[in-house]
Amino acid sequence: MVNKRVTCSGCSLLCDDIIISTDGLYIDEVIGACLKGKERFDRVSAKNRIFNPYIKKNGELIKTTLEEAFEQVFKIIKNSTKPLLYGFSTVSCEAQLKGMELACLINGFIDSNSTICQGKVLNTSKETGLTLTTIGEAINKSDLLILWGANAAESIPRLLNKVLFSRGKFRMTGREIKTLIIIDPIKTASFNVMGVRDVALQIEPAKDIDLIRVLKDECCRVNSFPDEGVAGIDKNDLKRLLLHLTGTENGIIFIGQGILNAQNGNSVIKEMLELIQLINAKHEKGRISAFMLGGHYNMWGFDHVALSNYGINHSLQFTNQQLTETSDTIISKIEKDDFDCSIIVGTDPISHFPKQLSKKLISKPLILIDNTKTATFHIADVIIPSTLTGIETDGLAYRIDHIPLNLEKIINPPKNILSDEEIIKKIIRNLKQG
Amino acid sequence: MELYKFLPKTNCKKCGKPTCMAFALDLLQGKVKVDDCTPLLEPKYKKEYDKLKELLGAEEGKEKELRIDVDEELCDGCGICVTVCPVNARYCPPTLSGKAPDYPPEKHQLFQIKGGKCELLAIKHCRRIEAEGRERECRVCETYCPREAIKIDYV
Repeated sequence: MVNKRVTCSGCSLLCDDIIISTDGLYIDEVIGACLKGKERFDRVSAKNRIFNPYIKKNGELIKTTLEEAFEQVFKIIKNSTKPLLYGFSTVSCEAQLKGMELACLINGFIDSNSTICQGKVLNTSKETGLTLTTIGEAINKSDLLILWGANAAESIPRLLNKVLFSRGKFRMTGREIKTLIIIDPIKTASFNVMGVRDVALQIEPAKDIDLIRVLKDECCRVNSFPDEGVAGIDKNDLKRLLLHLTGTENGIIFIGQGILNAQNGNSVIKEMLELIQLINAKHEKGRISAFMLGGHYNMWGFDHVALSNYGINHSLQFTNQQLTETSDTIISKIEKDDFDCSIIVGTDPISHFPKQLSKKLISKPLILIDNTKTATFHIADVIIPSTLTGIETDGLAYRIDHIPLNLEKIINPPKNILSDEEIIKKIIRNLKQG
Repeated sequence: MELYKFLPKTNCKKCGKPTCMAFALDLLQGKVKVDDCTPLLEPKYKKEYDKLKELLGAEEGKEKELRIDVDEELCDGCGICVTVCPVNARYCPPTLSGKAPDYPPEKHQLFQIKGGKCELLAIKHCRRIEAEGRERECRVCETYCPREAIKIDYV
């Protein structure tokens, strides 16, 4: 038995302090990981793990060999003219690069989960600019944390532990010096970690944009707060919030999924980033930065790989083996029925998407590359099992704060199971050979 | 005076003391027990007897055993209790920067996350037992648990 520290691939936080005891064949104990991380390590021998390739024949999934599955994939791709590639948020950066290569080869449309997630913020930041921060800075230097539409205590369990409760290098006390402000319409579990000096603001649903506009107004001309308050927050609380925002030395705004929802509209992200830039321009002492909370462990990886190779962070459309400009996303593509087959890598669109989109996705041939039996597994036409990145294969992944980290290989994968990168490489080789 | 209120105040001298006030003073110092006052055991003084027991019980609370309950159903292993515990902070340096402490655990370490759940290791080093003064009233793990899974109690 050896105890060693590894990087956990349970969620986007990529905790690099997890201790596991292993003999090289099995993982015995996981120490320090939250329930999400524990579940990830348990997935090695979980009941719903996919161990065999499957092919759908006469409406039933039948176990086959790897060769036959690859042959079926080859047939489906050869017969299609506009394939759709989606997912790539739970695979290594190497596999993401190969995925883009495959999309280029077969003139497909490739997109990742960040399109319907925090990728919007990165996209909007091209116009407004973006101040980013890292977790290390948050631990050691921050004194104001704002959870805006995010329930971090339950979605990314160890984030508050690291950012809010740690003591840091330059301060003797941890929790006492850091102020927490939570802006949320419902009382989530994150409200339970509040202390005496913290501020809890229960905002009315879908009114975030009004609050941001009022704060922006006040930054430009003094005493412009409406007397009756805005979005269910009274004037005194608004003053207090702005005092915190402008008086902080190193503040961080955690942008959660709550802001990104459709009720708020698309312009809310732009207003939000503009507010951050405005405050940073106004006060000289300190600064405020944005911190985008996403779920999948390598969601930022796709954005960075695509940005560095093609210059767009998501939604890449290829025609004649070249990148072409498009305003489509995965949602509009499926809605318009503008595809004839789909390749899903490491995600579960059937459970995530609305019913009408799922129905359209089911009507065309679907190839799934994944390691866990999800709802998509039961409707796919070809299923190729893959290894767990970070446990059975190594690879590069981008943390939540855009820091690339190397995921280690801990144990050997089961027989006849290839990694995501090898599977996509093999598909490309088959296609090139004809 | 609190205790004197609940005594019969008849100065019957059955307990061997000259007045009920003297009995109350001895009761406070722990020289005599509540049961030494025989009239109190009669049914008409039952309410006062129970009150006295309750009042004295609170002062004897220090002798009661400390118990920290961790609800495994609610706990999601966020590790806030590990980081926030002042005993852990003193003896396990990694927790200062929010990291998981070393394994196998140090002998003073109070909390540990194992298998995605919080585990209580050595309760005898808890501040509520070892420390003195205001530090003895430490309740940080209970206060900051987001899932409200930790309960501090005396049994």
